[in-house]
Amino acid sequence: MNSINKYIEVSELPHRADHLWRYSPWKKVHPTGKVKDIPKEVKGPKMRLLNLSGTESPTGIELIRGVGEEIRLPDSDDVSTNFIKAISEDSKWILKTESKFISNEPILLEIDAGDEINGMQLTLDIGERCEFEIVTIIKGSTNWMGLLRTGRIGNGSNINDITVGLQERGTLLRVDAISLGRDAEFSTGTVSSGSERTKADLRYRLGEIGSNLRVIGSILSRDSMHLDYHIEIQHDAPQTFSRLSWNAACGGKSKTIGTGMLKVANGSKGADASQNFHNLLLSKDAEADGIPELEVLENEVVGCGHGIANGPIDESQLFYLQARGFSPMDAKSALIAAFLNSTLSKMGSMEVHDWLSKMLYSELKNMNSK
Amino acid sequence: MESSQEAREVIGDYKAGWHDTENSTIRFDAGLSEQVVRDISEIKNEPDWMTQIRVKAYKHFVDRPMPTWGNMSMLKNIDFDKVCYYLRSSKATENDWDEVPEEIRNTFDKLGIPDAEQKWLSGVTAQYESEAVYHSIREDLVAQGVIFLDMDSGLREYPELVKKWFCSVVPYSDNKFSALNTAVWSGGSFIYVPKGVHVEMPVQAYFRINAKNMGQFERTLIIADEGSSIHYVEGCTAPTYSTDSLHSAVVELIALPGSHIRYSTVQNWSANVYNLVTKRGIAHENSKIEWVDGNIGSKLTMKYPSVILKGEGSHAEVISVAYSGKGQHQDAGAKIHHLASNTTSKILSKSISKDGGRGSYRGMVTVSSKAENCKLNVVCDALILDDKSRSDTYPTMEVSNSTAKCEHEASVSKVSDDQLFYLMSRGHTEEESLALIVNGFFEPFTRELPMEYAVELNKLMALEMEGSIG
Repeated sequence: MNSINKYIEVSELPHRADHLWRYSPWKKVHPTGKVKDIPKEVKGPKMRLLNLSGTESPTGIELIRGVGEEIRLPDSDDVSTNFIKAISEDSKWILKTESKFISNEPILLEIDAGDEINGMQLTLDIGERCEFEIVTIIKGSTNWMGLLRTGRIGNGSNINDITVGLQERGTLLRVDAISLGRDAEFSTGTVSSGSERTKADLRYRLGEIGSNLRVIGSILSRDSMHLDYHIEIQHDAPQTFSRLSWNAACGGKSKTIGTGMLKVANGSKGADASQNFHNLLLSKDAEADGIPELEVLENEVVGCGHGIANGPIDESQLFYLQARGFSPMDAKSALIAAFLNSTLSKMGSMEVHDWLSKMLYSELKNMNSK
Repeated sequence: MESSQEAREVIGDYKAGWHDTENSTIRFDAGLSEQVVRDISEIKNEPDWMTQIRVKAYKHFVDRPMPTWGNMSMLKNIDFDKVCYYLRSSKATENDWDEVPEEIRNTFDKLGIPDAEQKWLSGVTAQYESEAVYHSIREDLVAQGVIFLDMDSGLREYPELVKKWFCSVVPYSDNKFSALNTAVWSGGSFIYVPKGVHVEMPVQAYFRINAKNMGQFERTLIIADEGSSIHYVEGCTAPTYSTDSLHSAVVELIALPGSHIRYSTVQNWSANVYNLVTKRGIAHENSKIEWVDGNIGSKLTMKYPSVILKGEGSHAEVISVAYSGKGQHQDAGAKIHHLASNTTSKILSKSISKDGGRGSYRGMVTVSSKAENCKLNVVCDALILDDKSRSDTYPTMEVSNSTAKCEHEASVSKVSDDQLFYLMSRGHTEEESLALIVNGFFEPFTRELPMEYAVELNKLMALEMEGSIG
């Protein structure tokens, strides 16, 4: 059965009791709102792989057209996965590295969605014992973009992955289904300040001994943005480690949603897992919702926990900064930047951090100037 | 420390698991229909408005599908056609224990209810199957205008008061099981505390299911008028049968301005009871509602005590513990809705899973856009004692006001080896050490209970921990 038929089979509206779709019903995420519609002749985005400094990417890593090994994680959502597959038959890519590929310079993967409905599939085929940082930028003025990333991080690899959403408007649907190999370390960050609506279903499986995952988010929502992130982490092997740190600053009339599911399967002895969602509410009309769920079927764990905290900007901190000469607007911006920077600073090397910070400050300026 | 052996001597294996010979004066055939609903209402000689509510609720129950969340595989095993919806074992509600039929009296004697009444209670209702069989209240409270009746008597004697508040907090259309309860309710407590009256000692209701395939659907309504306070305690047990029973209660609390209601439950149903309960309170200005909720028994419990913080300055607290043993799923939690400014709430949930049991915390807290300066704190701790058991946490937090300060944290862990080692190095056996740690884990809950309940709970937990080691 091809993807189009598979999608048609599962495209009935998912139930609201399934919290993946609780706050962003599929018909609102779908490009036309008519869930049976499957846009035709979707061209696929323009892709570029280069160093973050703008120079040519090193040998040992390549972006090629093709279909990689299909990774399907338990309990994956069929609706969004099959929809992106159905519209991106002509836009399938593999990001492939040789084993022991090491790059000291961060790599940039640029995805330019243009101005039409767009979708693509990207398979991560990361060899063993690789070490590198990669920043993926999604940009363009399209009304709808779908990105499906699947793949496996090779044994012993240490990868720092950051996805930056800079889409000027419209909807971004992101689906990740990534599996970690033995002793692999994978840090995956999300920086989002674009797109009016984002629906992300990010799933990671620690299926082999010693795998180590960090999921980090720095989210700035403003105006009437609706940003809905679901992050699911599955511990399915002993001695696995995961941390989720998700900070969202919510301004304007925006709505930010962070739902998490942390599953620790029976047999995952020595698992160590935690999830933290922090929401800073910046305006009267902003809303932040969260459902950090936990299912633990193993008792021999180092610890499994989660936390969520929502609150306004601390008045005493604002007062302190103003007493030292900051204008009210600058004081507020500094505190928002510091809040978002607490997760941003975990996302990679100094070089990447500087690059991300500059981008974030310019977005904050934009927000304050409105 | 009570040793396991001592605990067993006192309470035995599920001490409430015996059953009496069934001597019913009225027993309906199993199964539910509109006629059954009308018959229950007729037997009770209810006013027409109540019959109409029952019938509407029945129709809603029939139309409403089963929940599509929670433990659906257990829920689908409930056969509503096999449940007996009304069974009366005594001709009337007595206010003298000597007048209660002997077998029923013996049951409550074994459960220690008359003794407790004399020592530390302001009033008692004892419900056996569908009807209250005994009821009493201290005379000085009556003199102060406190009403403490079983719900049927409440409806007969204070119809206007009941009509005003019945279904005002939990409408029949709230969920499938609140619809079922509204259709076939029988028994429960009706309490009204007048303005400024403080009921110093707790009042207690004890619910006992005795017959096989029995459904118990008590309805409790508590109204605390301005500036008053009351502590209500309920306990529940049932015999151990090979077939299942259904307990589906609805509890409505109304805390008027400045009042305080504390509702404590120690649920110790046998492992063949489906316990599907809707509990909710409305807190008006500067009032306080507390749910202190212990879930030890049952096959499946789905219970999420809720508070709607409607009045400015109101406060809610939910402290709950759950123990899930073999074949049990305790799906418990709490819901708090902050609708008014300067409202505060606190949820503390603790669970232990053992022998393949499953403990779930399912909670929801919301802050409306008009509710300024709200504060809420949720803490969930779980212990898993073996590799067959599981623990889940499903919290939902929806915050629509930027001035709210909200925190939620949850952790799942095993019993610390360091703690076990420490206690064993001071002369306790491993089993005793485990029981001590577990009792310590539940201590934030037990310290909120009347002492007799706390002692009983500690003994029960000591017994449950027996055989945990090795």
